[in-house]
Amino acid sequence: MMRTARNRQLGAGAGVYVTLVVAVLLSVFPLYWTVVGASRSNTEINSVPPVLLPGANLFRNIARAFEQTDMGLALANSLLVSGTVTVCVVLTSTLAGFAFAKLRFPGRSPLLAAVVATMMVPTQLGIIPLYIMMANWFHWADHLQALIVPAVANAFGLFFMRQYLLGAVPDELLDAARIDGCRTFGLFRHVVLPAARPAMAVLGMLTFMATWNDFYWPTVVMTQQNPTIQLTLSELASGYLRDYSLVLTGALVASLPVIAAFLVMGRHIIDGIMQGAMKG
Amino acid sequence: MRTSTNRTRRLSALAAALTLPLLATACSSSGGPAAEDPNAKITLTVNLFSDFGYADLYKRYQDLHPNITIKENRADLGAHHQNLRAHLLAGSGAADIEGIEIGQVAGFKPQADKFVDFLTKGVDRNQWVPSKTAPASSQDGSALFGLGTDMGGMALCYRTDLFKAAGLPTDRDQVSALVADWPAYSAAGKQFLANSPNKNVRWFDSAGNLFSAVIAQAPVGFYDESGKTVVESNPAVKAAFDSVAAAVKDGQSAGIQAFTPAWDTGFQQSQFATVACPAWMSYQFKANPPADGGKWDLARIPGGGGNWGGSYLTVPKQSKHATAAVELAKWLTAPEQESWLFTEKGYFPSDQALWTKPEVAGHTDPLFNGAPTGKIFSQSAKDLKPQPLGAHGAEIGTALGNALTSVEQGKADAAGAWKKALADIANITG
Amino acid sequence: MALPATAARHVRSRSRPSGRLGRLDRMVSPYLYVAPFFLVFAVFGLFPLLYTGYVSMTGWRADVPGSEDLWVGLDNYRKLLDDPFFRNALWNTLGIGVLATLPQLLFALGLAHLLNHRLRGRTLLRLGVLLPNVTSVAAVTLIFVQLFGRDFGLINWTLGLFGLDRIDWQAGTLSSWTAIATIVTWRWTGYNALIYLAAMQSVPYELYEAAALDGASRWRQFRSITVPMLRPTILFTVIVSTIGALQLFGEPMLFSQQQDPTSGGSQHQFQTLALYSYSQFWGRFKYGYGAAVSWAMFLIIVAIVAVNLLAARRLRGVDAE
Repeated sequence: MMRTARNRQLGAGAGVYVTLVVAVLLSVFPLYWTVVGASRSNTEINSVPPVLLPGANLFRNIARAFEQTDMGLALANSLLVSGTVTVCVVLTSTLAGFAFAKLRFPGRSPLLAAVVATMMVPTQLGIIPLYIMMANWFHWADHLQALIVPAVANAFGLFFMRQYLLGAVPDELLDAARIDGCRTFGLFRHVVLPAARPAMAVLGMLTFMATWNDFYWPTVVMTQQNPTIQLTLSELASGYLRDYSLVLTGALVASLPVIAAFLVMGRHIIDGIMQGAMKG
Repeated sequence: MRTSTNRTRRLSALAAALTLPLLATACSSSGGPAAEDPNAKITLTVNLFSDFGYADLYKRYQDLHPNITIKENRADLGAHHQNLRAHLLAGSGAADIEGIEIGQVAGFKPQADKFVDFLTKGVDRNQWVPSKTAPASSQDGSALFGLGTDMGGMALCYRTDLFKAAGLPTDRDQVSALVADWPAYSAAGKQFLANSPNKNVRWFDSAGNLFSAVIAQAPVGFYDESGKTVVESNPAVKAAFDSVAAAVKDGQSAGIQAFTPAWDTGFQQSQFATVACPAWMSYQFKANPPADGGKWDLARIPGGGGNWGGSYLTVPKQSKHATAAVELAKWLTAPEQESWLFTEKGYFPSDQALWTKPEVAGHTDPLFNGAPTGKIFSQSAKDLKPQPLGAHGAEIGTALGNALTSVEQGKADAAGAWKKALADIANITG
Repeated sequence: MALPATAARHVRSRSRPSGRLGRLDRMVSPYLYVAPFFLVFAVFGLFPLLYTGYVSMTGWRADVPGSEDLWVGLDNYRKLLDDPFFRNALWNTLGIGVLATLPQLLFALGLAHLLNHRLRGRTLLRLGVLLPNVTSVAAVTLIFVQLFGRDFGLINWTLGLFGLDRIDWQAGTLSSWTAIATIVTWRWTGYNALIYLAAMQSVPYELYEAAALDGASRWRQFRSITVPMLRPTILFTVIVSTIGALQLFGEPMLFSQQQDPTSGGSQHQFQTLALYSYSQFWGRFKYGYGAAVSWAMFLIIVAIVAVNLLAARRLRGVDAE
């Protein structure tokens, strides 16, 4: 169906291409500029007229950034936190999404409504109590579990998986499997899980990027002794030699993992965003 | 979508394989408090707010103590002290050693019991003058929670090449005479701007910085002896504010926020000809030599005297390695290291015995064209009449600095900016 | 997570498809599936929200021992009404919100329209416009701080090429709002464009054919067919972007060049509500007051979303779903 619609799309004239290419260039330029800055010295970046081509200092700058901040630890922390959160979110969301999409049980609608309602609530609303809980009750402040555990229940993730499974798994198939003797877990294992894989991959990717990029909560609950990469970035911009080339190097190092993942998985992410939009 | 499920499946399997081991380690990553075995391998964390020049000293200390690794973190001055206060209140999150700036130290006095008392750790408080130890002592004076590092005796740093081009004297005694007090400094600024061939060069870097220097010379600043805020009633504050605002109005300020990347760039790109420079600012000059090959020299600060900045090292009791941290803090503030920090890095020691030692008092600094920095800063340290300090001194200074920034930005006049600053200060102290 | 154990039991008991176990399975297992989510959700999602409400009615200051039990009722909220800093932050948040949301969604709409042509290199173009969205707020803001630099920034240099004066972006109210809104717009335009694109692709082609037969111009078709058909999607993006814009934190914090990064400019000209709440709670230890700022912020978001929904209903054509 999509294919026929596409064939009937309007052909693109030169104007369309030119405008789109300009848009893409505007999107890419700041990142390109980051590469330029990260491979130059502070003096070169701040010269008039400005330099627009990469220089030769990239590896030296990266070495300096690693030497002056705890970037190795920060990258490892971010990887650990983002990876763990991703696995947990995909798991809890798929399980719960399946229940909400395909199982009938008392309390289903109010529970779902509660989840959807909190999607509207700004994360910041809970920050102060969450910090009090982490610092005073659990003594998790500055520990990675303070970043991981609260992130495991992701309202968006649940909603996303439910919407996907609603359409991706026909009820008839589940009924047939039940008649064949499958218990609920059998349905999940043999019918739902295989069908959910594409959505799980997209949700995983989105979760990974969101967790990797999170700034506010780590700023509150973590310290520079145990930073995530985003915290190290803000440290680079303030406390150190205050050198633009180092700041941009940090920005580059912090962005590379997600950009690499994006280039590999990008098509699926695009599909995911577009499908989510259709159903949401 | 359908055709790509295979690839997606492989990718998600790969992702799972990559992250599962992480999941396992995440749950076992919390280490318990280590027992204080003097030879156990430990990492000491040091949280500072600017460069204290310690990097080489850490290396030396680690060579002396192979079981110890030292890690330093830095944040903005404001953020650093905010975080420290929050972590003291929370009972966790502080580093093993935390730096505290003198303008902030009064705010930590009520929490003196949350720090290790150095007097019980074999420290003699006579290593410093009373004006340095008093602010870092508990309310009743029985405990000392901060070891003095450096002092902020001030000078005026100026660019000889830019002065010469503008027809101003370049000899440091002549410059000292030219800018004997702040009105004379301001007049010289006018002369400089009128005659400097390069119109991109301003007289000074930042109104906030200049204000810090001017107010540092007042006998009473933001607080009186009883610890009450007197910003509004103390004429010295308003006078300093107005004189800086007037200089800004004359176009003397480059309007660059200090301690930002743009400030460092300003040094490199020669955007200003003078900087009111406390001893600890040397690192800034060293790290950012002018790209055009220009040279800095150092004259007497207009008005003479005053102290701006200087710091302490503290060890919060929550540190898991308090004993080792105390040893490191003591070592870093010991006379040999303090003396080395001055001759190599420019941080003038607060250790009073050093002020008469020839290697300190006789030191000349090639960074400043061989200026006798030892003589200048020793004299200013001996002459120092300390200002009374208060809990929010640094934040008040920041608020007034912000107000002057808005004047620099052309967004407010002196009177309007002053009013806004007072509102900010009420919010800070309230 | 007791799931693997139950799972094993399920598999073993497969030989008896119906009966007591089967009924038990149907009744109980749904709860097991939602349990992991809701356990965490209740403790770390729901509880803090309610607890914030409680804290906001106390005079809790972390630096005043014993103050956590000091009940002050609605005092904090009353204080908010006369707090010039709160009003300023609210004004800034709304201003930046409008500047960050409106152009963003208009650009996204235009971009989606262009992407909805038959294109070579379609995937590459889509990847290109989405790329900004995967970079972090911290990285992007630091990059833009450099680009927006007063003396040596690329943007001012470009303005200079056109004979325009340099702008001190942090200095002014409008200039700082514009700069922050630019950062937000840059990050989110591509994302919204893809959402619009998806919606556009589900518009029946016959509508355009009919309109073309009636002699409607392309622009006319866009206005009278595309936009109305997209209305639910537009509403969705308006609400999501509004919620995002009202919570801006990292951008204004890192954009600031002040010694105190929570001040949001020399005269708080870009201090947002989130930044103000943070400065009260983290910088001044006023937990109670900071919580009240958070709750007020939430209520404002609810109000704005409600106004959006009402306005959309007024403009009719919102047949939800």
